[in-house]
Amino acid sequence: MKNCDQFREMYEAYALGALDPAERATLEAHLATGCQDCAKSIEEARWLVSQLAYMAPEAAPSDMLKGRLMQTVRAEAQTAKRSTPSRSAIPFWIWAGVAALLLFSVYSAWNAQRLQREIHAVNQRAAGILQERRELDAQLQLAKRAAMIVTDPASVRIVLASQDHKSPGLEAKWHSQLGIVLTGQGIPVPSGNRVLQLWLIPKAPEGKPIPSLTLRPDVDGKFVLLVSNPPELMAATKALAITEEPEGGSAQPTTTPRWVGGVS
Amino acid sequence: MFLAAFTPSKNPEVSLDATLVSRLLQRDVSAFEQLYDRHSRAIYGLVLRILQQAGTAEEVVQDVFLQLWRNAGQYDSSRGPFVPWLFTLARNRALDTLRLKSERQRRREDQTEDLPPVASAPEYEKQLDEKRRAEKVRALMASLNPQQKRAIELAYFEGLSHSEIAASLKEPLGTVKSWIRNGLLRLKEGLQATS
Repeated sequence: MKNCDQFREMYEAYALGALDPAERATLEAHLATGCQDCAKSIEEARWLVSQLAYMAPEAAPSDMLKGRLMQTVRAEAQTAKRSTPSRSAIPFWIWAGVAALLLFSVYSAWNAQRLQREIHAVNQRAAGILQERRELDAQLQLAKRAAMIVTDPASVRIVLASQDHKSPGLEAKWHSQLGIVLTGQGIPVPSGNRVLQLWLIPKAPEGKPIPSLTLRPDVDGKFVLLVSNPPELMAATKALAITEEPEGGSAQPTTTPRWVGGVS
Repeated sequence: MFLAAFTPSKNPEVSLDATLVSRLLQRDVSAFEQLYDRHSRAIYGLVLRILQQAGTAEEVVQDVFLQLWRNAGQYDSSRGPFVPWLFTLARNRALDTLRLKSERQRRREDQTEDLPPVASAPEYEKQLDEKRRAEKVRALMASLNPQQKRAIELAYFEGLSHSEIAASLKEPLGTVKSWIRNGLLRLKEGLQATS
């Protein structure tokens, strides 16, 4: 409040517009700080100053002034009424436009759903293709591995002779790190659901045959079997044997071997 | 506070003005006509007193009332009564016009046009309160010494600053400031005593 004391004598002159520029600037800078007391006092001073208008004697303006004013005001009121659109005043083409817009909105929503379904189907197809590619990649890796086993000079060749001397022999290549590749062609396809199963015959005198993978030749009697992780070391294996077993293979041979080949 | 004596709710005239102004927002032509009939004499008298020229005064009054019609929303009845707001609007417009005119042009126009007659009797009963207030203000101002009253008139009707008034009256600046402030405080006390 003490800060406002210096302004108290300026309120009326400020409202009157009689303050010199420097004084007015000082007071306005103070008002700009948000002083509510001074703002309120100046509001009262403005009212007081407005009462000075009564010093002027009333005077009657010409009738023409009122006529001009009323003419202008009536014209503007009419214009305002005309420019306020009523429901019935809305032309048909606007309603047609609104209807078209609604139709377009419905179509857009339907189209969006359809596109969403298509995107979902495409995504599924893409996922299938990706899966197929992964499988092909895996097959390719296996084929590469098999090729390396077959071509690597470090692989040991094992010939499995047919025990009934009626079927063609089989050939195996065993690489100590990469695994075994067993191939054959012209091999009779086992009947029904039966399969051929590979066995590793250990060197140990009491060792039982160790089961490995099963296979079924194709209709031409061809097959390539890759055993990436043989269940026994080559050095500990005496021979490879093939028996005919039920689908899924057996833990121990249930038939006599049809092919046998010694591991040298 | 001082303004409380003049709050709209205590004065039916003020409430009527506020109602009429609110109707302007709905483009009510009859409300505009009523406001014009109620206040055009006071406004024209004020503007004419400032401009001293009938034609220009009517142009300013026309501008003031058209501004009221087109921008009625600018008046906020919660912040004070309508008439002081309209007076302030009219005075500001008139002083702006006065400042735009050259001294020579004003002298020439003074020679060619006579002042219009002063209105005496009010046309509307509702103007009585305004009339009483006008009489009170005039009586209070007439009780000031002539130099003091002249200083206030120069400030209010001609828009002169303290320094310009001191130069015009050839009086010390401090004296002019005291005259104006004391005169206005006397007016304030007189109006408070009336309310």
